[in-house]
Parts: sequence; structure tokens; C-alpha cells
Amino acid sequence: MVRLSDLHEAEAEHLQARADAMPRIEPGEWITPKPLSESTVAIVSTAGLHLRSDAPFTLGALDYRVIPGDTDWRDVVLSHVSTNFDRSAFQQDPNISFPMNRLQEMAEAGEIGAVSPRHYSFMGAMPNPALFEDTGTEVGKMLAADAVDVVLLVPV
Amino acid sequence: MACTSISLIREQSEAVGPTRALWVPFALGRPLGSAEDPEFQKQVMRQAFDLLDTATEPTIADYDGPMPEEAGPGEWACPLNLGPVVDDTLTGRLLAEVGRLKTWSAQTRAARGRTLFGVSGAQPDRVDDVARALASIADAESITELPRSDSAGDIEWAFDMPLLVRHLADDLRTFYHEAIAAQPGSVAPNHDALNDWIFGGTALGDTLQAVADRLTRADDPMANLVRGLLIPEGRYQGGSAF
Repeated sequence: MVRLSDLHEAEAEHLQARADAMPRIEPGEWITPKPLSESTVAIVSTAGLHLRSDAPFTLGALDYRVIPGDTDWRDVVLSHVSTNFDRSAFQQDPNISFPMNRLQEMAEAGEIGAVSPRHYSFMGAMPNPALFEDTGTEVGKMLAADAVDVVLLVPV
Repeated sequence: MACTSISLIREQSEAVGPTRALWVPFALGRPLGSAEDPEFQKQVMRQAFDLLDTATEPTIADYDGPMPEEAGPGEWACPLNLGPVVDDTLTGRLLAEVGRLKTWSAQTRAARGRTLFGVSGAQPDRVDDVARALASIADAESITELPRSDSAGDIEWAFDMPLLVRHLADDLRTFYHEAIAAQPGSVAPNHDALNDWIFGGTALGDTLQAVADRLTRADDPMANLVRGLLIPEGRYQGGSAF
């Protein structure tokens, strides 16, 4: 379980220090989406995922990778630099961190309107989220171009 | 568009103040809780999606549902006999251990139809070269030169040194995890149990410790950074990464 108290003391202190230094995001206009059953949903991940043909993430990466909605899991790898999270679960089932198939099932069941044709992965692991403003804006524009109504943000 | 999110570290979410976040008490690397359990994952997702209707201001809600089943330290033991070896050098031990795991790892890759192995640039059939490359770093003169060997000369490594070290380790850990996954057993080991196994006397664990020591001796900021990314916190005999 990820309560900081359950982690190794040094790691817990490090993550708490990161939290203490994180700037608060000022909320923009509050958006209430249309019903989920009518919404197109996309995933944005910080798991450092990409296609095998893509350049891997490097230290301090602020960029992102596109994960097409019809991607075969055989073509996906994970190059996140941190060793402090469990990768065996993603090896076992990629949906545990990137629930692309789960969204497809929910669309087929009518729980969501549609699945975005494109999803995105950053690497995260940066103490200052403000550094992601430019690439985050880029991804936002591409999500809007795909008429995405709801974004599910998933950490790792 | 509206966002809703999963939160793994509540303290960080509280600091940032996302529009909607569902804090889950799952391990890092398991944001939707339970692998190969679609209904479990969807009930987590539904709780996050529910915030789209219920939240009217930045909100962090706590997950309210079952906990995933996983085997922790003491609840799981590696059933594989990694046994004694003839060549007790670090490279010899690692290659022997990799050799014992190959059949199992291949079995998992065949069953899953995929693998995460390859981030270093090597293909799964080159696992021996990955092992040699990693072990060679433990007593390498330079930690900035790419590992060289006659057998690995054609591998196009995906990273420069020393960051390549990080991903050689990852590919080998993927290989080891795949081998474990092929073993019969009702519940997969969690992160702590896997780390207890790897760093509890396997040749891979010993190799990672030796490589981390070499990176520390380099007394170089980049090497030190890579060293901190190589071994999970609390497992390096030389001290904390932070």
C-alpha cells in the first residue's frame, strides 16, 4: 500500500519532501463534462511508456509519447528511470497502469461514449510540474483535436 | 475537457490540488490495484469517473473498495532452484543463473505473447549478452564506455553509459520476473517479495550491488545518479539513494 508510512524511511522522506516542494496548480474554469456514456475518454500516463520504435525516455524527460488506441501490447515498452515501483504487475497486465482494454470494454458496454484514438505517456519523475507546461499544452491541444471529453490521468 | 485522476501518493496530490483525484492505497506500479482482474480495475476506474458528476471543486476522494490479493514477504518463496555453480566469478554465477531461468522466462513470454525485455536495445535471445554487459561494469575501468564483447558487438545499445546500466538491469529484472511468473502458484509476489528474493542472494542481486559499488567509486555526479536509480531504496548495501 502506498501510504508513505509503509515505504522505506528514506524513500518516504524523499517523497514527502517532493510533496512539500510541489507548487499548487491554480484551478482554471471548472468543467462539468457531458454524461460519461456520451464522452470520449483518453488516458494520460506518467509510466514512461512508448512504442518499441520510439526513442526511450531519458533522465529529466519532459516530452511525451503517443500510444495509439489500437496499439498491440507487444509493441509497448517501459523506459521509466525509477526503480522504486513494481514493474512486474505491468509485465503481467499492462492495463494495471494503462487501462486501454478496460476503456474499450466500457465503451462496448455503453459506460463511456467512445475511446480516444490516441493516448499519451509522459515519464514524470520531475519535482517541478511547471516544467511540463509546454508539452502538457501540446498534449491538451491534441486531445482537443481528437474531441476528447474526459481524460483519465494515471500515475505509476 | 474534464480530467479525473488516480492518486498513489496522497501527500503529493494534496500539495498540487488536482481537479478530481481518487487516492488508492495500492503499491507504486499498481495504480488500478489488481493485475489480470478487469472487474477490479473497472471498479477503481468507475470511482474515479464518478467524481466527474460529484465533484464541484478540486477534490481528493479515498478509494472505497476491496484490496487486491498479493503475496508479500514471508507469504511467497521462489520455487526455483538456482543451485550451486562451477564458475563462481560474478559473470559466471550470473550466466549460470540466467541459464537456469531461460526455459521459464521463455514460457511466460510465449504465454503472454509479449515481453518488456528490450529497453536496453537487446532482444530477448541476447539475455546472456545483457548479463555479461552488466556484470562487466562491476570492475570496468571506465563507466562511460559501452560494454564491449565479441558476442555483443552487434547490439545497438539504446543508451549511452552510464545510463545504459539502468536499463541493462531492467531487462534482466524483466527476465527474472517472467521466470517467476511461469511458476505454479495462486498469488503473484508483490514488489517487496520480489526484491527480497532478488537481493537476498541471487547472482543478479549481487551483481547489482557490485555495479552500484563501482558507480559509487566513480565519484561522478552522473554515475551517482544512475546508482540511485539502479537498486530500490533500502536495498543497496552502500546506503540511501536520496
